[in-house]
Amino acid sequence: MSEQVRIVGTFADEEQCAEAIEHLRHLKLGKVEAFVPFPSERVNEAMELKRSPVRWWVLGGGITGVISGFALTVGTSYTYPHHVGGKSLSSIPPYVIIAFELMILFGALSGVIGFLIHNRFPRFEPLPSYSPRFAGDRFGVVVSCELAQAERAEATLKESGAEEVHRESV
Amino acid sequence: MAQAPEAAYSKADGARGFSDVTYGDIDHEVLRLLQPPGRKYWYGVAFLVALVVVAGTAWLRQIYMGLGVTGLTMPSMWAVYIADFVFWVGIAHSGTLISAILYLFRTRWRTAVYRAAEAMTVFAVITAGLFPLIHLGRVWFFYWLFPYPNERWLQPDFRSPLVWDTFAVSTYLTVSTTFLLMGMVPDVAAAREASTGWRRKLYAVFSLGWQGTEEQWRHFSMVYLLLAGLATPLVLSVHSVVSFDFAMAQVPGWHSTIFPPYFVAGAIFSGVAMVVTLLIPIRRWLKLERLLTPWHFDNLAKVILLTSLIITYAYAVEAFLAWYSGNVFERTTFYMRYFGPYGVLAWIMVACNCVGPLFLFSPRIRTNMPALFIISIGVNIGMWLERFVIIAGSLTTNFVPSQWGFYRPSITEILITLGSFGWFLMWFTLFSRHMPVISMTEIKEGIAWHRKALEREDAKAA
Repeated sequence: MSEQVRIVGTFADEEQCAEAIEHLRHLKLGKVEAFVPFPSERVNEAMELKRSPVRWWVLGGGITGVISGFALTVGTSYTYPHHVGGKSLSSIPPYVIIAFELMILFGALSGVIGFLIHNRFPRFEPLPSYSPRFAGDRFGVVVSCELAQAERAEATLKESGAEEVHRESV
Repeated sequence: MAQAPEAAYSKADGARGFSDVTYGDIDHEVLRLLQPPGRKYWYGVAFLVALVVVAGTAWLRQIYMGLGVTGLTMPSMWAVYIADFVFWVGIAHSGTLISAILYLFRTRWRTAVYRAAEAMTVFAVITAGLFPLIHLGRVWFFYWLFPYPNERWLQPDFRSPLVWDTFAVSTYLTVSTTFLLMGMVPDVAAAREASTGWRRKLYAVFSLGWQGTEEQWRHFSMVYLLLAGLATPLVLSVHSVVSFDFAMAQVPGWHSTIFPPYFVAGAIFSGVAMVVTLLIPIRRWLKLERLLTPWHFDNLAKVILLTSLIITYAYAVEAFLAWYSGNVFERTTFYMRYFGPYGVLAWIMVACNCVGPLFLFSPRIRTNMPALFIISIGVNIGMWLERFVIIAGSLTTNFVPSQWGFYRPSITEILITLGSFGWFLMWFTLFSRHMPVISMTEIKEGIAWHRKALEREDAKAA
């Protein structure tokens, strides 16, 4: 396999960044990644990423919460029986409140855990090609490709309006 | 105060928001707040800490001497502490309304104010959570409220509203803290890039290593949306549960089916008023006129006006139902609420909550900062009094006149109440100069959206 390089283009404009991604993806030069300072619908469309699997974590957490809530309340009623005037030991309507609160609690916490796992957070080393400007007002497009394709990638980035293009060895 | 932006405010500007601001300007405006604060700021913090210390001392004395140092006595065993609890939980709610509910509705004006409101939520819940503990006679047994296997055969009664409260409020604290920290991740990453020394390390920890790749944003947007979706029913449930503390009891003036919606509306009403009360001075002291525009205050004032009308309606319905029921106890309680020993407080409450906000029908008053500030302070006072007259007032004149009494707060209760304001403001003050108090990423997103909207408008016009 020939030598790999990363080409990094910096953009000031969201639209130009998205166009560059579309062109690069169309040319199939290599893996395209983007750094954006805010969630951009336009860049998201250009990247054509699937919906995040974090939603399944939230669903799983929520269902676990409901089950835990009823298990805790009904289980407690029978483990520590307290008979009052011949009434049934457990009563569902008030337990719905506990189950509801635990559904929210578990759903939220497992969503956050999912977020951390899918992003491999916490991470204290910067990703390759990251620049502090990408947290401020600049958009970054990174293409990982073979050396032979590098010039074509650089040209595409410049044509799309990149302010600056540089090459990094891998 | 800079009068120019108010004078120049018009409807067209409102729709356009702050479309002349660039992304770089936003970072500059927000990140300059994270510079080490001056001496005046620390004097302010020291004053607030002093309030907390005084209140802490009063609490220690109460723990040592017993609840006898408070004014609590039969028939009024719930009074100022519980009013403080309900007041602070209520303050918390507007934060979630602005950050979660308005997020789901894609309301554009929330972007500049939601971080401050959300931080306020967390600090208000931390404050509220102290009051059930302060109100305990033997606070060292507070953990009995949580279910855990033990040898004493003691279990919390899951049919009790007080146990629902434990679950609701602790879930609310956890979820709103998570929501706040989650939402701050991209902004803290921006702060990390702009800072040095220990601050950089602190921000590196809070940003979790955020770099803003499209992949990270994909997960972030999903989890943020779902947290907002979870926080929305949560916030409605929490104040409903708080209202159940009263509505499930048989005391006239408490036992009412309108309590959940009435309390939720009241919570949002008082909370938005607190947001306005805090943001008006902050906007001036931190010179945030470019980011917190009259457009934002106009919209906050409209929320205050709407919830004020709901509250006014609830007061009227409550009184009407008491009369219509024909029940002598209900009728007496409501008569005594307005014409009894606490009648003056009830009328101040009506003036602050029902009459004052009516001025907000005028667009000029909605964008006039001093007027808005006075009205919002009034609402805070009025809403605290509302909780007091409902809680202490209903208990002091309940069923049988032979057990009627009069409750007067003791110095301990007054100091602890003042201390709770010190505690809340202390956290908020520390937060406002050490974390990004305005969301940079969402304002940038808002600007991008505005630009596209303007382009579409221009294209249509052409």
